Amino acid sequence: MVPLSWYLIFAAALFSIGLFGVLSRRNAIAILLGVELMLNSVNINLAAFWRYGNVMDMTGQVFAIIVFAVAAAEVAVGLALVISVYRRRNTVVADEIDMMKW
Amino acid sequence: MMIHEETARLLTWLIPLPPVLAFALIVLFTNRSKWLSHTIGVGAAILSFIGSMLVTVFYAFRVEHFGEHPIESAINWLPTGNTWFRIGVLIDPLGAAVLFFVSITIFMIFLYSVGYQNYGQPAGDHDRAGLPPHGATIEEHGHKHVVPSVEPMYSRFFAFLGLFAFGMYVLVVSDNLLTMFVGWEIMGLCSYLLIGFWYGKPSARNAAVKAFMTTRIGDVFMLLGIAFLYSATGTLTFREIFTEETLHVLASTPAAFGMTASGLIALLLFIGTVGKSAQWPLHVWLPDAMEGPTPVSAMIHAATMVSAGVYAVIRMFPLLTADFTGHGLTTTMSIVAFIGAFTALFAATIAVAQNDIKRVLAYSTISQLGYMIAALGIGAYVAAAFHLITHAFFKALLFLGSGSVIHGMEHGVLHTGNHNVDPQDMFNMGGLRKKMPVTFWTFLIGGFALSGFPLITAGFWSKDEILADAFGHGHWAVFVTLAAAAFLTAFYTMRQITLTFLGEPRTKEAEHAQETPWTMTTPLVVLSVFAIAYGWVGIPEHFPVLGGLVPNWFHDFVGHTLAEVPDAPEFSWIPLLTSLVVALGGLALGWLVYRNVKSVSDDRLQIPLLKNKYYFDEAYDFLFVKPAYWFAETFVYKWMDKGLIDGILHIFGPTTGGIGSAIRNYFDLPVINRFFGDGSADVTYWFGGKLRAIQTGRVQQYLMLALVTFIVIGVALYFFVLA
Amino acid sequence: MDFIATHLLSMILFFPALAAVVMLFLPKDENKLYRWFAFGASLVPFALSLYAWFNFRTVQTGFQFEESYPWYEAIGSSLHLGVDGLSLTMVLLTTLLTPLAILASFSITDRVKPYMMLFLFLETGMLGVFMALDLLIFFVFWEIGLVPMYFLINQWGSANRNYASLKFMIYTMGGSLGLLLAVQMLGVLFGTYDLLALYDRWNALEAGTVLLGMSVHTVKTIAFWAFVIAFAVKVPLWPFHTWLPDAHTEAPTAGSMILAGVLLKLGAYGFLRLILPLYPLEAKIFAGALAFLAVAAIVFGAFGSYAQTDFKRLVAYSSVNHMGFVVLGIAAAAFAVGTEDARIALNGAILQMFNHGLSAAGMFFLVGVIYERTHTRNLEEFGGLFPLVPVYGGILIFTSMASLGLPGLNGFISEFLVVRGSFGVGVNSVPVMAIYTAVAMLGLLFTGAYILKGIKKVLHGPLNEHWAHGEHKLTEINTREVIVMVPLMALILWIGLYPAWILDVINKAVVMLF
Repeated sequence: MVPLSWYLIFAAALFSIGLFGVLSRRNAIAILLGVELMLNSVNINLAAFWRYGNVMDMTGQVFAIIVFAVAAAEVAVGLALVISVYRRRNTVVADEIDMMKW
Repeated sequence: MMIHEETARLLTWLIPLPPVLAFALIVLFTNRSKWLSHTIGVGAAILSFIGSMLVTVFYAFRVEHFGEHPIESAINWLPTGNTWFRIGVLIDPLGAAVLFFVSITIFMIFLYSVGYQNYGQPAGDHDRAGLPPHGATIEEHGHKHVVPSVEPMYSRFFAFLGLFAFGMYVLVVSDNLLTMFVGWEIMGLCSYLLIGFWYGKPSARNAAVKAFMTTRIGDVFMLLGIAFLYSATGTLTFREIFTEETLHVLASTPAAFGMTASGLIALLLFIGTVGKSAQWPLHVWLPDAMEGPTPVSAMIHAATMVSAGVYAVIRMFPLLTADFTGHGLTTTMSIVAFIGAFTALFAATIAVAQNDIKRVLAYSTISQLGYMIAALGIGAYVAAAFHLITHAFFKALLFLGSGSVIHGMEHGVLHTGNHNVDPQDMFNMGGLRKKMPVTFWTFLIGGFALSGFPLITAGFWSKDEILADAFGHGHWAVFVTLAAAAFLTAFYTMRQITLTFLGEPRTKEAEHAQETPWTMTTPLVVLSVFAIAYGWVGIPEHFPVLGGLVPNWFHDFVGHTLAEVPDAPEFSWIPLLTSLVVALGGLALGWLVYRNVKSVSDDRLQIPLLKNKYYFDEAYDFLFVKPAYWFAETFVYKWMDKGLIDGILHIFGPTTGGIGSAIRNYFDLPVINRFFGDGSADVTYWFGGKLRAIQTGRVQQYLMLALVTFIVIGVALYFFVLA
Repeated sequence: MDFIATHLLSMILFFPALAAVVMLFLPKDENKLYRWFAFGASLVPFALSLYAWFNFRTVQTGFQFEESYPWYEAIGSSLHLGVDGLSLTMVLLTTLLTPLAILASFSITDRVKPYMMLFLFLETGMLGVFMALDLLIFFVFWEIGLVPMYFLINQWGSANRNYASLKFMIYTMGGSLGLLLAVQMLGVLFGTYDLLALYDRWNALEAGTVLLGMSVHTVKTIAFWAFVIAFAVKVPLWPFHTWLPDAHTEAPTAGSMILAGVLLKLGAYGFLRLILPLYPLEAKIFAGALAFLAVAAIVFGAFGSYAQTDFKRLVAYSSVNHMGFVVLGIAAAAFAVGTEDARIALNGAILQMFNHGLSAAGMFFLVGVIYERTHTRNLEEFGGLFPLVPVYGGILIFTSMASLGLPGLNGFISEFLVVRGSFGVGVNSVPVMAIYTAVAMLGLLFTGAYILKGIKKVLHGPLNEHWAHGEHKLTEINTREVIVMVPLMALILWIGLYPAWILDVINKAVVMLF
């Protein structure tokens, strides 16, 4: 059986890729995609810990499902926002959407 | 005929009331009607007179053992803790004798005032309230001439007289010191009001204040004495104080200044008399009091107020002599004797140099009162009382007579219209005996009585008794002083009679003087009867020839006021001869010196020192009045109240303001406002300004920052917490 | 009738305040209505206090007409009212003087409504002090009285009124600071402010007890002086008296009447009601100091009065002089509580309070009468007015003589009793009192001097041409003004001739209390 650390390393890598995407991409949609990656890496962790912990305990799985729901909702709201911004400002570049400064 | 004891008691209560009711009625209702006012006033005087006569002549003088069973009655008046202070009436032999002369003189003075204030004359041309009447112009038989005008405040005068009479009656019938003091002070008020009756004259208003204040000096001491006596004995009723037991306690209790309690109390009470009876050194008010209308002078000087002073001492005689053993005078008695004798001589010397007819009499009054006081000081109780009464008669007569003279002279002044002539200056008179015969003869009787003209006048008997007493008990200094005073008295009296009535008129005004109306002359005649006849009730038993013809009723009667009847002085030729010599010598000298004097410049006795009354007024002004002003205005008001106390208070305001503004300027504004208030805002602002650079609005930068922070905190936690 | 009998005091107390509130709802600009309404309203408490006076049983000991309502239960204070002979006399004086003062102010035309309302409130404030049997209530009413008076001086006074009203207010408030603290201390110590309870418990404290970290004696001494200063300012005792001439002089006529007639009595009443019963020992220890200050007030008050050229100030200073006798009597009594002398002195002191209320109110009113007509109070501008205003002159002389203490009028009785009492204490127990009394007589002498100065400068002298003709013509005192004076004069004479009717009530209270 594959040891737990492999899952964890994988999840960490996936999280880092997502984080990098969030920090470095200019397109707002790509940032949202990065966020999805980070959420999924969390799900991997949850599933892995469940499998290596007390199997009879359903907490890990339940949590992962909640995260799915949250991620879906988040993407829906995020995309709606992006579209709304795009309609007004005609851009989806994150750096240009800086109305909130100072 | 004799009245019942109960009736006498009731009458005694009622005697003082008519005059005060008259006062109230006149003030409240009849002020506008001169006729009603004087009717009420004189009517009241008559009622009191009748009451007094019933009580004295028809009861007190006739009842047996009156001294032991006087008229007494009292009611509760003031609650004092668990007991009551009682007031009431008391007529004992002394009171009866005094009441007798008081009621007569008061009645006479009321009657006299009607004429003196020109009742029935027309209203004056320019008269106004507050000034003496100046005369009215009338047309008669086709030509104008000026006649005396009626006093504008005629009704008010009778009201004041009524109140005055009330005060005197209260004083006489009181059975205790407190109500006696009430009467005493009411008279003080009235004398103030009456002296200042013509308040429009500045001299009158000053004289009124002077009289009130000077007597008040005495009064406060007297009040202190009353308080002392009351505190020490718990009562002020005469007959309770004058029990042997109480007197003994008082006489054996030591008080301050080496005196016994009785001595000190008597001295304090005596100071009241010094003020009231115008004894040296408080004599200064009396001559000035001549500013009042003449009936007032008579009232004040003869009948009532000044007599009241002596009466008080006579009343308090048992207290005065409580610690007197009969050998050597006590301190208090010596003081009394000294002041009396000194005043008698001192005032007589001033009288010699006065030109105002009333002022001479004023000083003679002071001098005669000194006589009585001296008599009391040496323990001559009956003699003092006797002289008090005879003096009251003849001095009232003299004052009323001088008023009549002035009135006659004023007539002359109105006739000539020369208002520069002073109708009171004796050097403007002369020869009035022909113009005013009734006044002359009565004045002569009064003057002779005052001088002590031998045998026929009352003054001789009373004065002689005092001299005999002084001689008999070996008080040589007093004897000599009084004899000298008696000589001067005879001298200035004759000077006055000579200048006024004898010789020829020295001015036109004197030529046109007129005899006064019957309302004024009747009192003169009545009083002159008493000025002669009253002496006969007190002729000493052992007097050559006359002694024993009439019993010495006065001594017997008044002497019984005291628990132990004092012995009459033994007869001796020396005092008798002395009084004969001084009286006749003084009279003769006065006539010899002044019969040819034509004007003031001929009078060699116009010595400035005497004329200016030894400069007492000036000295008092310098010593007391001015410093009192200074003390009040400058020290108390300006320095202490305005300067010191208000100064301190005014420091509080600025100090509080200073502290307040200091707190504001040095703490609130810089520390609280600048440092904490503004300071915290500034710091926040500054930081905000610096930090706003990181607020770019770019989400990715925020995330980056968050990540970096996370890592830094993570690393830090790792090192510091876990490691 | 039963209701009246059981609620008599509270009705007397609150009726004026109630009437003042009702006045708020009266129609606008009806000066005549305001005047008569206020006058009528002030007559009601007078009638009620007469009822109280005649139903007061002198033989009964203790307080009568007592009422008690819960007020501030948490701290043990209740609205406890009651009167004895001492306070009843003062209540009668207050309810008598207020209608007269209101009648005297009928000539006020400026803002009549608030003026009359303030007067009615003032009456409640003063009555409250006299009736209170609860320390806190006492203090509350004590301060309430200040406020209307402040506004009366400040709004209706003459030229220098701002200074005077501020001085009056600050001085009195400053004086009562210590009183408030001392009252609080008593309340905290015993959990009650009820006077009757405090009388017992405060005096029952044993000497060794430690209070607030100090010995009982120290605490009591401090509290004693706190009380004394508060009351001394009000009396006013020398040297706390300088507010008085200013306040009296600047206040409107009726204000001065009440100020002199009643407000000063509050201080003396405080001495009698609180200091003597609460601090008998301390009072005895410090009686010498009190007597000294009293004598200073008598003497310096007389001299101060003599120095004045302003008629109203002259009368104002006379209050210092007269109230000095009250305190002298109290000091004498403090020396020898329980003796006959002390009782006589206290009888005198209390009667003097009443008498001074009558004569000072009368004097201030008379000054006001002439001020209203001439608009000056300068004595130098008067003189020779007697021929112009003979009736006024007669009344002025009468009232002045009462103030001077002429026998036969009321002032003499009380002054004599005080002198007799304090001299008696001097003779029988504390010699120094005899000296104080003797010095006080000097003040009595100068009482004469300033009174005569007043009469001389106003009435006597050659006819005053300035006020005799034309537009300045001085008019005689009118009927309304005479009506104000008549009750005062009648009482002055009545007490002077037969003092027993009032002195009997006072005497019973004094015998019971001291």
